[in-house]
Amino acid sequence: MTPSTPDEVAAALRRAADARQTIAIRGAGTKSDWGRDGARADAILDMRSLNRVLAHEAGDMTATLEAGAALADVNRALAPHRQWLPLDPPFAERATIGGVLATNDSGPLRHRYGTPRDLVIGVQLATTDGVLSKAGGRVVKNVAGYDLGKLVAGSFGSLAAIVSATFKLAPLPAASKTLRADIADAASLARAIGAVMNSALDPIAFEIVSRARAAGSRFGLLIRFASVAAAVDAQAAEAIATLQPYAAGVAALDGDAERSMWREHADAIWSGDGAIVRASWLPANIARVVEEVEAFEFVGRAAVGAGLVRITGSDDDQARVVERLRASAVVGNVVVARASAAVKRRVDVWGSHGDRQTLLESLKRAFDPTGVLNPGRGPI
Amino acid sequence: MNRAFLDELRRIAGDTHVLDDALELLTYECDALPHLRERPAAVALPGSAAEVQAIVRLCAREGIPFVARGHGTGLSGGALPVAGGLVIALSRLNRVLSVDIPNQRVVVEPGVTNLEITRQVAPFGFYYAPDPSSQQVCSIGGNVAENSGGAHCLKYGFTVHHVLGVDAVLPDGELVHIGGDLVDTPGPDLLGLLVGSEGTLAVVTRIVVRILRRPETVQTLLAAFDTIDAGGAVVSDLIAEGIVPAAVEMMDALAIRAAEAAVHPNFPPADTVLIVELDGPASEVTSLFDVVVATCRRHGATAIEVATSDEQRARIWRGRKAAFAAMGRVSPNYYVQDGVVPRTRLPEVLSRIRDLERRSGLRIGNVFHAGDGNLHPLICYDERVPGEADKAVEVAAEILSYCIEAGGSLTGEHGIGADKSQYMPTMFAAEDLALMQRVRAAFDPRGLCNPGKVFPTPRLCGEVPGPYRQHPIEAAGLADRM
Repeated sequence: MTPSTPDEVAAALRRAADARQTIAIRGAGTKSDWGRDGARADAILDMRSLNRVLAHEAGDMTATLEAGAALADVNRALAPHRQWLPLDPPFAERATIGGVLATNDSGPLRHRYGTPRDLVIGVQLATTDGVLSKAGGRVVKNVAGYDLGKLVAGSFGSLAAIVSATFKLAPLPAASKTLRADIADAASLARAIGAVMNSALDPIAFEIVSRARAAGSRFGLLIRFASVAAAVDAQAAEAIATLQPYAAGVAALDGDAERSMWREHADAIWSGDGAIVRASWLPANIARVVEEVEAFEFVGRAAVGAGLVRITGSDDDQARVVERLRASAVVGNVVVARASAAVKRRVDVWGSHGDRQTLLESLKRAFDPTGVLNPGRGPI
Repeated sequence: MNRAFLDELRRIAGDTHVLDDALELLTYECDALPHLRERPAAVALPGSAAEVQAIVRLCAREGIPFVARGHGTGLSGGALPVAGGLVIALSRLNRVLSVDIPNQRVVVEPGVTNLEITRQVAPFGFYYAPDPSSQQVCSIGGNVAENSGGAHCLKYGFTVHHVLGVDAVLPDGELVHIGGDLVDTPGPDLLGLLVGSEGTLAVVTRIVVRILRRPETVQTLLAAFDTIDAGGAVVSDLIAEGIVPAAVEMMDALAIRAAEAAVHPNFPPADTVLIVELDGPASEVTSLFDVVVATCRRHGATAIEVATSDEQRARIWRGRKAAFAAMGRVSPNYYVQDGVVPRTRLPEVLSRIRDLERRSGLRIGNVFHAGDGNLHPLICYDERVPGEADKAVEVAAEILSYCIEAGGSLTGEHGIGADKSQYMPTMFAAEDLALMQRVRAAFDPRGLCNPGKVFPTPRLCGEVPGPYRQHPIEAAGLADRM
């Protein structure tokens, strides 16, 4: 199904649901191998024909975007106005607005700007009864009614189809600089992160890179400043002084070198084999966290306490590591994103919903009473 | 409510923590929107999350509607009791459970005040960002219910951006853990739904918030202008420059006069004052603050006062934050409204409000968060003049209709509550409200949890729509409005 208007989205959902067909909603498909390895959906709702920027109110710093629009295209359209939707999830070049919101996926910029749920201010949804409805609005400050734009963040297409969404934008920073610090051991890493978090430094990204397999220092910290040029330089100088006691070396990058470094950083973990697992932790526990994932490539948001681990080895080994992380006292919310079908058969990719299970089931029934959206694959 | 129910409540919460005496119930008849008033059958003041859960379970078993209440500072009647129902007052759940500076998290019970969180962490150089004007007295549980904002939300966001997790008692009495110390709970964002649901989905008993490092530098200026348009043009230019101030506030002549009479902030006599605050690293603030000053000059500021000390900054903010209560100095009665327009439509909507002022004969003061288009019109009237109170309500409704026509919202931060539920169909279609109602029913199929709020229902008899009236405890001389 390739609808090209909101009404067609709603009608397509209803037709499929009435025929008791199961439906998977799809944008660019960058994350279509995530989730449980469930039964193949009977119908694919391809959202890519709804790909317009419906409104960009530069003076209000908001934009209303159709779900199938690629994030990168949106940001190319906003750039001449010196604004952006400050999200940098994996596969950012192709990932669509709807997919990024439905998975609430984010990247290094999360440090400053949060995840899609923090930026969404309104949403239009199509439900399986063929009805279009909206929640939120087009203004950045608004508490009228339930915030369903946030509710669908992380729903992985199991509640409703996102037809369009309105986001709060940010000004594009005038200048940017990134420091890369090489750090030899976990204790120094923890101290360096603590020092930055407890300082007046105000970066827009603050990443940990674990280079278990690489030569040289075991860990890297990437810290990016973006503001007016004078502030970027002053902050970078302060950051060098803050990091120096813990680092084997600190390099500063700007311009093309900085851009290509961040591109490589975004792609690196996804280009290797094995399972990719999301995990969260308390930032001050980082030394114990890196011990837990010592054998594997690992990237994370240092001050947020969230990241990705790439687990390699046999299918059984990978599954065992997932179980071990789930049992760990320092890591939580372990979700398998990408993994082989064999690994996904051995572990539940979502993990337990704990005492939320019944509530999530009620919500699922409220949106999708016949259970046709993403059955056996999404988190509910 | 029968004897056995009250007995059981007393067994759960203790004899002294269940009120059913008419005089004791008076305090709980309304929140800070005193024209909507209802006497509950009883009030329970539980002392622990387990007691809250037991009380909700009892209500569920007996089919008794209940309303959770924090410190009663809400401005939309969100804590208005239900006739024959129970008020669960959370003021005794006021413990700070943990302060974790290295991880920048604080865990509190819902009855802790907003400012108390900052007090706890200030010695370490941290603060809790959302700062509603009532922050000295409002409860964090109420902030969660309303998704409270404040003057600094343009840059820092709302309560929903600063709460990491809650323990919530669902309307059937089940306790669920939503979010927590760690980010990224898998599945739909229940926390994002719950924050701002105005107490209609659950009763929150424990809250994890994140705290922020105090910015290295704060710079505040007050600029006076001859026209509101000139002040608005400054804000537009700042946004176009890519500057996101920590706060941008505007007040018009009537609001300035009232604030001056009440708290003497020494504002210049002007048609409009603009307050701009930048915060962040010194290097950034210093360089951008020059742009702010130059922009104010370029648009003809008649006076610019740059705060050079914390006391001066506090004085400027005192003038702004006291503006609501200060209206009492220039008018016998007033009605505070809360609406939002896209920021770029402010001049047009303000000019419509001016026309309305002339047409209605009621003075309207304007205080607004100019950065995000959140208006707080203060409608002045005299309840001794027959018909004026009703006219004030009509004027408020008309202003809200301007907000909706401009593509805005019925409320930016005070909530829909009981006050504005009847206007919801002007902002949302029947389909939109129906989907939200399905969500509500998924949490609360029997409609026991704060019924009559958010969604339009026919007005109950005895409810008098209308503007500001003294809270019963104010009338008794026991409290004052700040």
